[in-house]
Amino acid sequence: MAEILLSEAEKAFIHHGDDLRCDGRTRLDYRPIILETGLVSNASGSSRLRLANSDVLVGVKVELASPLSEKPLEGRLEFFVDCSANATPEFEGRGGEDLANEICRFLQMSYMSGDTINLSELSVLAGQQCWVLYVDILILECGGNLYDTVSLAVKSALYTTQIPSIKVATMDGDQPELELSEDPYDTKRLNTQNVPCLVTLMKIGNHYLVDPTPEEECCSSSGVVVAVSGSKKITAVRKIGSGSLHPESLVSMLKTASEVGAVVNKILMKKLLEEETAGKTQKVGFMR
Amino acid sequence: MPVDSRRLQGPESAFSYTLLEKKDANAEESILSADLQKMLIDSNHVRKDKRKPTDARPLFLRTGIISQAKGSAYIEQGNTKLVCGVYGPREVQKKSDFRLNGQLFCEFKFAPFSCQKRRSHQQDNEELVLSGLLREALEAAVCLHHFPKAQVEVNIMVIENDGSPLAAALTCASLALASASIPMYDLVIGAAVRQLPKLLLLDPTKDEEWQPKLNHDENNSNLTVGFMPSMQQICAYVHEGVSNPEELEQMLKIVTEYCLKVQPVVQLCLKETVEKMLASEGENNDAE
Repeated sequence: MAEILLSEAEKAFIHHGDDLRCDGRTRLDYRPIILETGLVSNASGSSRLRLANSDVLVGVKVELASPLSEKPLEGRLEFFVDCSANATPEFEGRGGEDLANEICRFLQMSYMSGDTINLSELSVLAGQQCWVLYVDILILECGGNLYDTVSLAVKSALYTTQIPSIKVATMDGDQPELELSEDPYDTKRLNTQNVPCLVTLMKIGNHYLVDPTPEEECCSSSGVVVAVSGSKKITAVRKIGSGSLHPESLVSMLKTASEVGAVVNKILMKKLLEEETAGKTQKVGFMR
Repeated sequence: MPVDSRRLQGPESAFSYTLLEKKDANAEESILSADLQKMLIDSNHVRKDKRKPTDARPLFLRTGIISQAKGSAYIEQGNTKLVCGVYGPREVQKKSDFRLNGQLFCEFKFAPFSCQKRRSHQQDNEELVLSGLLREALEAAVCLHHFPKAQVEVNIMVIENDGSPLAAALTCASLALASASIPMYDLVIGAAVRQLPKLLLLDPTKDEEWQPKLNHDENNSNLTVGFMPSMQQICAYVHEGVSNPEELEQMLKIVTEYCLKVQPVVQLCLKETVEKMLASEGENNDAE
């Protein structure tokens, strides 16, 4: 992150603060989140999520392709994370590639287990055509806690993704004909109820924090990122940072993460539903 | 991703012949883990390779396998075979990085013929993430402040992948680092465990390992842990698949117990290495 300067007093406070953090939050509180969907007109689904100073824009494009030979009855999700050089000076050139790759891979892993998403809904013609959802994540600004921000933005974008309805017409010899519905509003949406949210917990001193700020991330040497699905199951866990954790701390962090994840999922779905039912209001976009 | 133009790539339409195999009715499409369980364990509670669920595969360790490297190690865990070479401490390649602590560079690579599906010659995303995980784990164990402005390179090459490559890599890398006389706080021992609904399999083979598949019912996952036995600290933790915190606690306990049992084996290997070095030095002195 851009040069973080911390005095000894600030470091001491972050280490020993008794359930009170520098910005007044408790250890399990998130910073304010601003979410808006449907910003990008050329994408089938999009969302922009701002978690305090972390800003992420996600665009989902749906395309037809042939399914993987090992999984002929399923469509697929392809993630791509792009750390813009504007986000933080460290991302200049190829600096952000490692982090982008890690986020991408962890997202892929957390979506690929359990009942998170039903990919067989994306199949058009078994073994020949399926929908591929290209989820492109653009990190515009980095203010700590990228994993959580990205996962919430992706979930929101997928929630609003409209997949056109395609009918398979008569098989003309070997070539099936695909018919796109004439009504542009005849679309279907994926069930994203169980799609996972990532929760980052950083270990500082003897306790752990949810949603760390860049200053708190500096003071911490290790943490875990936990993917919690909408059905309250843990679908992926990864320890991050160059420090080490005691097994007991790790176990209690996992328990806390799964509780926090369940709450985050519930609130996010509620807000997305509210935005949907509110109807066509004027888009705020990047003006605010 | 930069394209490797120097090597001949196979034609685009090449695919593995195993896709043409006739599958049993229950094999791949088995959604219920109960069926999966029946495949892996027979009625006597014995696995396909005659092990009990809590038995690990026999371990073989040898150091000094690469003569040109500062330190090297070879590990065989069942059929999983890995080589690790350690070079350094030497001057940091990118002079622009001035750091008061030493740096660790890890490269994790699968040989193209090591897995069932051919791997590319260049590191793909999975290998890059595994390299990052390995580096974070080893950074917790190595005394980086002992070699400021210098770097140590750890290169892992998987010769044959029959399950749990990351676990074997962690053990092999720490053995290689120790034999290269790099100061460390503790050895890192890696272990993996597969979780099925009512069963835990320690040290899974490739067939027993969890594969990303959706629509599984409860509790189906893979956990790889890097543990420092003397310090009782976890330095690597990767969990993929569906689980809940209570089950994760169980899996962690089994894995840490196994790591404690393996520690004396690794220490014995190091002891033999030192004895051999002293013996050969003694011979050189006699010859002079």
